[in-house]
Amino acid sequence: MTNHWCDLQNADVFLTCGSNNVENHPISSKWVQKALDKGATWIVVDPRYTRSAACADIYSPIRAGTDIAFYGGMFNYIIQNNLMQTEYVVNYTNASYLIDPDFNFDVDTGLFSGWDEAKKSYTTTTWGYQTAEVVEPNTATGGPFAWTTAEGVPEFTPPANKVPKKDPTLEDPQCVFQVFKKHYERYDIDTVCAICGMDKETLELVYKTYCATGAPDKSGSIMYALGQTQHHYGAQNTRALSLVQLLLGNVGLAGGGVNALRGEPNVQGATDMAMLVFDFPGYMKWPTVQKYPDLRTWMEVETASDGYYTNKPKFFISALKEWFGENATVENDFGYDWLPKIGSDADLSIISTFDHMDTGRVKGYWLWGQNPASSAPNTKFAREAMSKLEWMVCVDCVETETASFWKAPDLDPATIDTEVYLLPAALIFEKPGTVVNSGRWLQWRYQVVEPYDQAKSDLDICDLLWKEIVGLYQAEGGANPEPILNMKWDYYIDGKIDARAIAQALNGYTVEDKNLLTTFGDLKADGSTSCALWIYAGYYANNDAPLDPAQQRVGARGTEDKGNLGLYQDWAYAWPLNRRIVYNRASADAEGKPWNEERMLVKWTGEKWESNDVPDFVASTKASDGTVTPVPPNNKAFFMNWEQNARLMISSMDMPTPEHYEPFESPTQNVLNGRQNSPCIRFTEHKSVQQGSKEEYPIAVTTYSVVEHWQTGSQTRSCPVLVEAMPSQFVEISEELAQEKGIENGDEVRVFNNRGSVVLNAFVTCRLKPLMVNGETVHQAGMVHHWGWAGEISTGDMVNDLAPNVGDPNCFIPEYKAFLIDIEKI
Amino acid sequence: MQTTRRGFLKATGLAFATSLAYGLTNQSEAFALDADPEWKLVNTEEYTSICCYCSGGCGSLCSARDGELISVEGDPDHPINQGGLCAKGASMFQLRNVVDEKTRKVIPNPNRVTRPRVRKPGASAWEEISWDEAIASIARRVKDTRDTTFVEMDQGVIANRCDGMASLGGSQQHSEEEYGIVKIMRTLGIVALDNQARV
Amino acid sequence: MTDVAILYDSSRCSACKGCQSACKCWNGLPSPLEKNAVSCTGSYQSPPELNGDTRLLIRFDEAAGGSKGVEWAFNRRSCMHCVNPGCVAVCPSGALHVDAETGFVAVSAEKCVGCKYCASACPFGVPQHYGPEKTINKCTGCLDRVEQGRAPACVKTCQPGALKFGDREEMLAIAHERVALLKAKGYDKAVVYGENELDGLHVIMVEKYGLDAAGLPENPQINQVVDILGLMKPLTGIGAAAIVAGLGLSFLTGIGYKRDTLHYDEAAHDVVDMDTGEIVRHIDVESEE
Repeated sequence: MTNHWCDLQNADVFLTCGSNNVENHPISSKWVQKALDKGATWIVVDPRYTRSAACADIYSPIRAGTDIAFYGGMFNYIIQNNLMQTEYVVNYTNASYLIDPDFNFDVDTGLFSGWDEAKKSYTTTTWGYQTAEVVEPNTATGGPFAWTTAEGVPEFTPPANKVPKKDPTLEDPQCVFQVFKKHYERYDIDTVCAICGMDKETLELVYKTYCATGAPDKSGSIMYALGQTQHHYGAQNTRALSLVQLLLGNVGLAGGGVNALRGEPNVQGATDMAMLVFDFPGYMKWPTVQKYPDLRTWMEVETASDGYYTNKPKFFISALKEWFGENATVENDFGYDWLPKIGSDADLSIISTFDHMDTGRVKGYWLWGQNPASSAPNTKFAREAMSKLEWMVCVDCVETETASFWKAPDLDPATIDTEVYLLPAALIFEKPGTVVNSGRWLQWRYQVVEPYDQAKSDLDICDLLWKEIVGLYQAEGGANPEPILNMKWDYYIDGKIDARAIAQALNGYTVEDKNLLTTFGDLKADGSTSCALWIYAGYYANNDAPLDPAQQRVGARGTEDKGNLGLYQDWAYAWPLNRRIVYNRASADAEGKPWNEERMLVKWTGEKWESNDVPDFVASTKASDGTVTPVPPNNKAFFMNWEQNARLMISSMDMPTPEHYEPFESPTQNVLNGRQNSPCIRFTEHKSVQQGSKEEYPIAVTTYSVVEHWQTGSQTRSCPVLVEAMPSQFVEISEELAQEKGIENGDEVRVFNNRGSVVLNAFVTCRLKPLMVNGETVHQAGMVHHWGWAGEISTGDMVNDLAPNVGDPNCFIPEYKAFLIDIEKI
Repeated sequence: MQTTRRGFLKATGLAFATSLAYGLTNQSEAFALDADPEWKLVNTEEYTSICCYCSGGCGSLCSARDGELISVEGDPDHPINQGGLCAKGASMFQLRNVVDEKTRKVIPNPNRVTRPRVRKPGASAWEEISWDEAIASIARRVKDTRDTTFVEMDQGVIANRCDGMASLGGSQQHSEEEYGIVKIMRTLGIVALDNQARV
Repeated sequence: MTDVAILYDSSRCSACKGCQSACKCWNGLPSPLEKNAVSCTGSYQSPPELNGDTRLLIRFDEAAGGSKGVEWAFNRRSCMHCVNPGCVAVCPSGALHVDAETGFVAVSAEKCVGCKYCASACPFGVPQHYGPEKTINKCTGCLDRVEQGRAPACVKTCQPGALKFGDREEMLAIAHERVALLKAKGYDKAVVYGENELDGLHVIMVEKYGLDAAGLPENPQINQVVDILGLMKPLTGIGAAAIVAGLGLSFLTGIGYKRDTLHYDEAAHDVVDMDTGEIVRHIDVESEE
């Protein structure tokens, strides 16, 4: 979330699209209700009439997987009806930037310029800007790169800044705005209705209501979750809704924002920590063989030519310093070579990992509280692949489907040679530590009781394993032991592994005197600072009580609300720098006057900045003598981008701007361009995918969660009160489809496609309706996915057997939300 | 020392502070002492925590007596949830303890795994093992796999990676634990690293 | 203390069942532990009805119609805590009584003799019984919490603010204001419930889609047996055993108005559940006398 839960109260209009916020993020209901009490309007767009829809003011069904058509239509509606927040767009986005004259989109082929059929990817040079001038990096005192010449900083050449050509009138046909406008002219209301299966009158009401937030003083909030992201163009879906927010001037405002409602208690933390193939902690890049063979190259590629990321090597080197401690020196590139480099010979995300098990490349599998035998797409293939592993280690509090994959009803354990270890994990109230919520708030959990019986915290388990592994390498040697023997693992307090010691490492400190740092602004690229995660700097920085989380910002419990906007500045710590609403510079106009005085986040008085939130821009400069000078307003509202403006079009993804394609398994043809699926879709060629056609499997289906259960149900199916409240999984179908298939409410039915077949109960409901899609009736069904064979209280068939293991090229997210099935009464 | 955190909780026994199970911080030293011995939370120690389900970050109050969890409910001081919890959050207590239907007594959750187990190749059942055995044999497995699948150089570049292992998960742990996991997995050379962010 | 009330506003409720879950967890009520013991109800409503272990349930009712195409009504099903509760009037043992401080219908389960007269008297079908002794199970208003200055568990846990707890008059005022707003928004059937029904209830409800969708009787009446059994009320002070002795076999057996489900085997002096054949009580006639 760019904003946070309590801030929802400030919205004028909500659009819930791709989430079911009251069910899957129930806390949202409190803050949405507060906004409704102040007169806000709430729109829900969802394939099903959900419990969120029941609470909302306006509801429209949508065919799953057509969000880009829906949002593309909204771009067109905004532009055609002059609803854009023009001053915001001109000043704070790249709308005025001129792009390459060779940029093109071919409607007939559905391809943007630069497609390489052999590589199945784009060369994106034609998506870039025209350059007005090239400014060489300024390494002089006071310049952004002055720090690069300091002693101890590894040598590298900072990048030159290619200043783009602009047309602030937005009239140049090559400016981003004009190219963007032209691109979405095809997305007229009738076309969108036909694709999405929407009713024209309702769609116009949705557009009209939401786009009213283009008024400068109005805020619109979009709440989305996996309904938006779990498509093979999921990242583009998310971009599309972000672009709506930019066009309407809703990003950076109280009550606005791009609000990803994240699904796991600490998935925000896991993302911050880069538990992801290509990421390095703190949203930096993990080294790869091809792109970043050495530290110098990493610094040269990753350092931005302008904006705040001109400082990036400071964060990276401080993290290396933490990783290897005193073994990291400028002479050995701070241990860069010891980090594993990703090769170019294999995809490595969750989907393709199973292929690597299947082919024998991956032999050992670590599972840290995740249950892919239930949550992976095409789980039948996943568990068959797992059965080729030599070993598996599962750390969990219950026996998951993954730990017991060899017990799957369709597998014969006698033929499976995998050795599986199940290590009992402590529950949240059996261990202390930090958890980061969707609004980026870092909060401390205290230990309440000891782990039950022999259970241990994940940290204790890590420590036991690491000491044992290090011991083996010390005693026996082995394949290059250097990374292992040089890694720093010293997180002990009173001789015991302790989360508080790691908290200090994450927060960062000066190497010389272990002084905890209050801001990442103090990090250096010369090895004098150690910081595992620069964005957390300040969360655990009280040097007076390093062992007491309650006296750290992470444990802060102040309930004062300066500005009465629900910012609660003194409660916990929001990364970065306790900033509650990111991009908050954009909440005020180019002169620094808030678009809405009542929702003031930052304000230029004519002499200085006043603020209720921590400014997300350069509000002042500090000279070496400590003199602070306010920086008058400018248009650099998005200073984490090198342009320091937000990007309506982009050159670093699989599409320069979102274009509609159909789901991998779709009940219809793409009518917006000549290509059915995104050209960059991943993993479709794998033998296990077994694409189904609409002729074989005519019913479109989406999968989802219910409030009573959570994810694969490992925890919630352990809680009898939740099982009682929702005892089994079901498929929801319309009364019309039920009649066609002779199904009565509550009947057991079989749902199947090429990948699998599951038996569950049918809920026949008026909350689902057949849709008219491109002139034909399309039935849409919905299935919950919380069950599996494991557990002592409640079990069921594996719904994710049916989901296709194809995914998005940007982040490899699988397409769980839109595929094809058929259904029959048993 | 701060003895009460919330106005309506009367701390009537300062001496009780010495019995704090973990002696953590002033924050955990809120008591729900009351004269009424029938009161469910009599003589409990109260700790704040955060819900373990979605990413709302709702605050909870966990009450414990004699080292055992007695109750979990929403933290009324917490600005996000102001004391509320949804169906899942409100039942967090059951992750550890449940009520037996027949006796109506609180018992440990029968679905929980609390001892290390191994499933041997070809076996159709688990075997219970000790922590020492588990750690020793896992470490041996890890070393064997790493040593046989390690890629030191790739295309002339120092790669130092291990292609034979993959790691998945981490969204349910504390941030400090996540760092520990990432650091160990990456240091072993694992590059096939992913978590619940996608599923 | 003036009379208090729980306000349930169905137009704020998201049917998350936090209240259903919190009620069980706070009050130590069990749910089935046996594998796959709970059957699919064909609805989001589960269990299908209040039962011996369930005092509070979120009810679902769906119908096509309205501006959004569907009217999905949520309701909170639990004890209404009548101002003049029929169940208390008939309770022979003092297991049910009106709490003087709050006006809630309090429960002293240990005094329950399992006669189930309360179930017969209640126009909402609320009182349920559990265990071999058929002991009363119904919402207690979490008086244990209220006495400690805490709201009932269901109210405390409600995220969207659909449940409130406070002065009854204040709850009524909020309810009326809400219904006026809902009507202005086009929810013509919106109505306040509990103000005057049965001389008033201590649970005030805002029903967004009207009473039918909420499953509530428009004009609830206490079972007429209460008038007759009310005569026995003065006897309650004497103690359950004495009353039972005085009232003859019908009360003694606990069959009461559940003759369709319970049978008294005069030879064996056993009360038998007709559905399960289980002996729910043995009457030791001699010792009683």
